[in-house]
Amino acid sequence: MNRSTAFQFRAGNSFFHHLDPLTKFAWLVAISLLAFGAYIAWVQILITVAVLFTAFVLARLAFLVVLRGTWLFGVACLSFLVIQTLTLPGTHVAFTIFGHPIYAESADYALASALRIYTIILSSLVFVRTTDPRELAIALVTQMRVPYRIAYAFFIALRIVPTIEEEIKTIRAAQAVRGVVRQRGIAGRIGETKRYAMPLLVGSLRKASMMVMSMEARAFGAYPQRTFVEAPRMTAAGVAVCTLMLMLVIAWYGALMLGYVHSFYVFAPA
Amino acid sequence: MAFVAIDHPAESATLRSLEDVDNAPASISEATSRTGSQGKGDLAIDIRGVSYAYEGEADQVLRNVSLTVKDGEFVLILGPSGCGKSTLLQLFNGTIPHTLKGQLAGDVSVCSKPIASTKVASFATEVGMVFQDPEAQIINTRVRDEVCFGLENLCRPAGEILDRHKEALAFVGLDGFGDRSIFDLSGGQKQRVSIAAVLAARPRLLVLDEPTANLDPAGMAEIFAVLERLNREAGTTIVMVEHRVDELADRVSRVVMMDRGSIVFDGAPREAFSQRRAAHSEEDGTVPTSAWFPQACEFALGLCDARATPLAAAVMPLNVAQAVAFADPWVGPATGKPFLTLVPMQQEDEAAFLRVNQLSFGYEKKLPILSDITFSLGRGEIVALCGRNGSGKTTLARLLMHINAPPRGSIWLEGKDIAELSAREISAEIGYVFQNPDHQFVTDRVWDEIAYGLQVRNYSDKAIEDRVGEVLDIVDLKRYRDRSPFSLSLGERRRLSVATMLVLEPHLLVLDEPTIGQDHERAQQLMGLMARLRERYRTTILMITHDVRLVAEWADRALVISSGKLLFDGKPEAMFADQMLIEEAGLLTPPVYEISRALAAAHPGGPVRPTLSLTDLVDAIARSGGHAA
Repeated sequence: MNRSTAFQFRAGNSFFHHLDPLTKFAWLVAISLLAFGAYIAWVQILITVAVLFTAFVLARLAFLVVLRGTWLFGVACLSFLVIQTLTLPGTHVAFTIFGHPIYAESADYALASALRIYTIILSSLVFVRTTDPRELAIALVTQMRVPYRIAYAFFIALRIVPTIEEEIKTIRAAQAVRGVVRQRGIAGRIGETKRYAMPLLVGSLRKASMMVMSMEARAFGAYPQRTFVEAPRMTAAGVAVCTLMLMLVIAWYGALMLGYVHSFYVFAPA
Repeated sequence: MAFVAIDHPAESATLRSLEDVDNAPASISEATSRTGSQGKGDLAIDIRGVSYAYEGEADQVLRNVSLTVKDGEFVLILGPSGCGKSTLLQLFNGTIPHTLKGQLAGDVSVCSKPIASTKVASFATEVGMVFQDPEAQIINTRVRDEVCFGLENLCRPAGEILDRHKEALAFVGLDGFGDRSIFDLSGGQKQRVSIAAVLAARPRLLVLDEPTANLDPAGMAEIFAVLERLNREAGTTIVMVEHRVDELADRVSRVVMMDRGSIVFDGAPREAFSQRRAAHSEEDGTVPTSAWFPQACEFALGLCDARATPLAAAVMPLNVAQAVAFADPWVGPATGKPFLTLVPMQQEDEAAFLRVNQLSFGYEKKLPILSDITFSLGRGEIVALCGRNGSGKTTLARLLMHINAPPRGSIWLEGKDIAELSAREISAEIGYVFQNPDHQFVTDRVWDEIAYGLQVRNYSDKAIEDRVGEVLDIVDLKRYRDRSPFSLSLGERRRLSVATMLVLEPHLLVLDEPTIGQDHERAQQLMGLMARLRERYRTTILMITHDVRLVAEWADRALVISSGKLLFDGKPEAMFADQMLIEEAGLLTPPVYEISRALAAAHPGGPVRPTLSLTDLVDAIARSGGHAA
């Protein structure tokens, strides 16, 4: 019995779980567009708070799940924040550390950049955790007219990721028992990957071939179309979420184009 | 979120070969009447002179195979690993030659359709295929989606699909499981979902390739009960490859034995098990076919051999009740010397080198996987660790190896806390043979594979050369020293995997499910190797297993875990004597024990006592001087 990965769908009963996959996908795209379009800290703080609210209230994710899924990126974002704050140029000195000036512009920009990355990771976690890959695949077929063979290939790829993760963990454990020590550095990691590759490849090919046989034996691909006994459909809540997100994106980019807010921070030469 | 059904009627489809979709029977049970209308003697399978070699390979896997299976039969296919059993099954829905290409000669018709000109999908309503590993064959993440999958592909109307899915789930005893996540099911439940997923299409023929290989005995019993019902009540024809013959011998109508790609026996179960024959393993060693015999049959054969009495196939017992009835007249008065007495287990071994003390563990505090486990292991013991799938056995073994970090002060190895030892220090003392040997291979050559553990511990070249040579001899792999580990057969890879651990001369060797995917003979060979290790190095063997015959034949001691708690620590005889424990742990009692227990109860004060040894039981009865009826 192994600990499940945070980036994996878990059934639930939250508002977000009940939204259809395409609405959630539209939400994810809108969050990403807003995050990439805003280079100002206060806007990024607002977006991060909104996504955190979605994660904890609308999607009812446990704090530990969010922590497990994002802590590594959180640490990376924090490092990013510190390095950029210390190294980027600016004009207004906010304060000094050991005689080193910290500029308000660089701190603002660094915070916005760090939060942007964290927000996108967090919103992806919310999406993956609350969206059944199969429903997403079906929505792509029934609402976006994607051919079902392609949609299922996408679904199976998502479905198999946790299995491969488990397989890698098992191989790592099995090889650790042999005295293989985890390698550091790029060369070490390449050597490690080579050692994992063969058993992983052999196992994955066996599983993939079994899956193909199981699908073909049940007439997958026999007809150009297929029945879906339960195809997700956009509800009024979904329409409301999509409309809200669309309005926010249009409003923000409209405001940028009309010059009501700053577009991009340009570092002034010292 | 709202859901809506989206139908695409088959009439709009273009694939004409799927015209049978609309001719499916109205219920699973209707298969009986359909079989009746086709006539009980109609052929579900008709194979004549078939030979087959996989694409790019010169050696034939099937050689001049002819086989006919009538509607309503329940056929068990037996044979050593690598004899072509699974390949034969892949002919039955056209996977060979359409998905798996190769050189196919001869004529194959399944459900009156020639496979050469019929696509795999066209068999979807007539042939259901169930494979060994439910994890690999289940496509969807929810039970309902999996069961509906095939009928959705066949463009059946949504209402009909939902009705049929309910019927199929009810048939396999999973009524109301539609909304469950696949990830929350036990192994037996997952395999029942796989069966329901093919039953929904109401197939005429069900083909199963070792469907219980990954299941605990309780899961296995669930599957066999479903199959028996399907065959008897719905008249579905079943063809199955399976190694667990004890529970199947009296359920099947026919046995086919294969050896090196050919059929060497085809007949009734009693005839099949009444005569010992020879077959050949993948490594070309000779394997007695009795390796696959039910214990009830072995017992009858042994008894007749001991009394030099011929055994007519017609009276061959196929289950425990029949074996008891068969042997009852042979049991005479007590010889005055009972052959077996139960010895209570010593709970505390002063010479223990590994102690587990009040070990509790879980990935999340609220969900403990192990609770308050305490036991110790002494040198040279063979200990079986038993319990249901998911009971915590593998987690316990992984904690012993520090693959999962154990709480401080809970596991002591030679007086040292394992939590404070490095991975290399532990692996010098404890070896772990994983279920899948491929996971452990780290080099491209058999010799290097065995040498690896010594090299990373800085042994001298001379010492490495000597030790590797010695170990290659022990595991009988010297002739393959320059081969890639991945090119060996499964049995050889298993032995290589053991050798990589053995070379470090560990005090404890942990075997994780040594019999999964292996026939009984190969498991016996592996355990024979373990016994030699124990004699030579006083190695302690801890085997995680569901195989009750393996426990009965090899274990000195058994540990039983249920829901993370240690329920039992003692002699296997005492474990099998406790019926409540056996039920709680999802185990089964070996037939020899049940036979001896029933005979002992029928002859109080007689020569028979409950035993796990077939030889002892046969000797006791043979010496007692009773007379066969």
